[in-house]
Amino acid sequence: MASDGVEIARGTWHPPKSNAAMAATLLADGVRLSIRLDGDGAIAYRDELPSVKVSDRIGSIPRRIMLHNDSTFETHDNDAIDGLLKAHRADRSGWISELEQFRPRLIGFVVLVFLLATLVYRYALPALVEVAVLVTPPAVPGWLASGTLASLDQTMLSASKLPLAEQQKIRAGFDEIAGFSTRGKANYNLNFRDGGFIGPNAFALPDGSLVITDALVEMAKGDMEMILGVLAHEIGHVEKNHSLRQMYRAAGLAGLIMLIAGDVGSGGEEVLTDGAALLSLSYSRSAESEADRISVDLMSKAGHDPAAIGRFFKLLEDRLGDKGGTSMLSTHPGTPERRNQIDEWAKEVGGGG
Amino acid sequence: MAFGTRVEGNLRRAEFRGNAGEYFGIWIVNILLTIITLGIYAAWAKVRRIRYFRGNTFLDGHSFDYHATGLQIFLGWFIAFVVISIINVVTSVYPLLGLVSPIAFMAILPFFIARSLRFNARVSSYRNIRFDFTGKAWGAFVSILLGGLVAVFSFGILAPLASRWSYRYIFNNLRYGDRGFETNPGVGAIYRGWLLPALMVVMGLLLAAAIGWLYVAPFVLDVTNNMDQYSKDEQVGLTIAAIYAVIIPIILVFVVAGIIYRVVVRNVVMNSMLFDKVHPLHSDLSRGGYFWIVLSNFLITVFSLGLMRPWAAVREARYLAEHSGITLKGDVGEVMSSILASGSAFSAEFLEIEGMDFGF
Repeated sequence: MASDGVEIARGTWHPPKSNAAMAATLLADGVRLSIRLDGDGAIAYRDELPSVKVSDRIGSIPRRIMLHNDSTFETHDNDAIDGLLKAHRADRSGWISELEQFRPRLIGFVVLVFLLATLVYRYALPALVEVAVLVTPPAVPGWLASGTLASLDQTMLSASKLPLAEQQKIRAGFDEIAGFSTRGKANYNLNFRDGGFIGPNAFALPDGSLVITDALVEMAKGDMEMILGVLAHEIGHVEKNHSLRQMYRAAGLAGLIMLIAGDVGSGGEEVLTDGAALLSLSYSRSAESEADRISVDLMSKAGHDPAAIGRFFKLLEDRLGDKGGTSMLSTHPGTPERRNQIDEWAKEVGGGG
Repeated sequence: MAFGTRVEGNLRRAEFRGNAGEYFGIWIVNILLTIITLGIYAAWAKVRRIRYFRGNTFLDGHSFDYHATGLQIFLGWFIAFVVISIINVVTSVYPLLGLVSPIAFMAILPFFIARSLRFNARVSSYRNIRFDFTGKAWGAFVSILLGGLVAVFSFGILAPLASRWSYRYIFNNLRYGDRGFETNPGVGAIYRGWLLPALMVVMGLLLAAAIGWLYVAPFVLDVTNNMDQYSKDEQVGLTIAAIYAVIIPIILVFVVAGIIYRVVVRNVVMNSMLFDKVHPLHSDLSRGGYFWIVLSNFLITVFSLGLMRPWAAVREARYLAEHSGITLKGDVGEVMSSILASGSAFSAEFLEIEGMDFGF
């Protein structure tokens, strides 16, 4: 059968639209392909190489030639098929398979991947977070916050025991400062609570609801400026969407790993998503100092002492001095460092300090 | 051509022939090109990854194949991205729509699930014949969405029922050429397998409560009573540490119990499955064996900074393949050669939206 060409590869032929399998040999005469059955030597089908579909080479998985009558020739002889394709038609995808060969240069790829992954983490992830914050409908922070305060009230917080007059005084000062914020006074809502074991604290929910604990007001010992400084700091968290950003960051990190690494494995995916959610509980250092900066700016604009929040940190620092040592678990920047920064900013905006 | 496949009686076990070195090259190039192309290559990377695993999974001397193209998957992702973006933009202009869009999303989800199952079946083949999936959106709504809600709102007590519904929907609608699959897993059998993971979750929650009560609560009380000795920083840090001390064990218990439950359900579902009404399928994963593979794979991957992931993935694929099989009743050659493609499934050039990938 010289007219049917030279033997290219041995393999299996599946007849049209059937899963029967017959041992066969692929023959080629230029671009003309013939499938010869091993059993009786009959030619089962003829086709033209340039127009048939040949599956890409991936590792050593069997190669499939899908012929025009819906029959398939299948072979493990990848090199023979590559040789045939190179000789008779432009092979576009071969270079990827070439790259994938287990050769020493893969070490270079590994180094390159680690380098690029660092860049993605440093630049692409923050950029993605910014885009996500930008396109988030304004209703979302409301959904996130609604329920949070209610469940906190049920578990850790109870009604404030502060005298109403004092509450009103703080609220008046707060409204004045919130009036200078970008979102405006109407979008903030101050709540007084007895924090129980939370102690002297203030926190903000993403929709602009702020909570201040009785213990913090007591600790201030009448230093109204200091209380307002702390509240201005919390306004800063809301203005910069810190909780939303934190959430997107965690989700984005998990998503990027899954997109880039492809298969994370059973168990890995769950641990990754849960772990990322846990991470979002903690605040980052840069968010804290950003909120400090906003506190300084807002206090200055409202004609208050811009460095007032620094006194709050002084108070903390003194206590820290009593006990000595910093907590390893601290998610906030070192207090002395923050105080220095606040003093510098306060001088910049031209207030006291 | 029955080389390479272990035959016990008439049971033909699957076999995985991939190796870690070969997959490492594919995996690292996938990652590299995905980053360089800003994520676009991820669709093509996925095709190469799945083709490597399918193409190395052999049953009776023949491997499976995956025919989706990178372009199909990329377009599916792109359309999903555009739809989500439009919803976001519209919602930010008309905030009231924000209340409607989650409901609308739930309404189209079953449609996406059914389409995704069909897509994944139709791009899968074995011995020149494609799989197909004939399930409709309504079935997905009832068996997968409602089933999921039932499982969640019964605190997992009715999870075996939900598993039964969803696997019956998935496999009773699965076709291979002109032949169908059917599975009728017994609720009793799933419940027997459900007992251990359920017990683990209960014990885990009790343990977490005990940790909370015996260690975290006194510790919190100490912080509360000696407030002056702790800074705000430390209070925040200690509070977070206390929350972690309770939450992390709970998450671990749920992950472990989830893996064990899935192993049991897979065995029950596959062992009660028939191909073409007569040929039983087989699965004999061992809970401990599979769990050990998952756990050690996870640890090895983490401690090798991800570099051992290809080795771990190949190891898991090999274990899963070796514990799966089918018993062909009658002359294998005759059974096999009588299977024909049913016309609708065999259209290589269709373009479908992937939507979401549920795999199967």
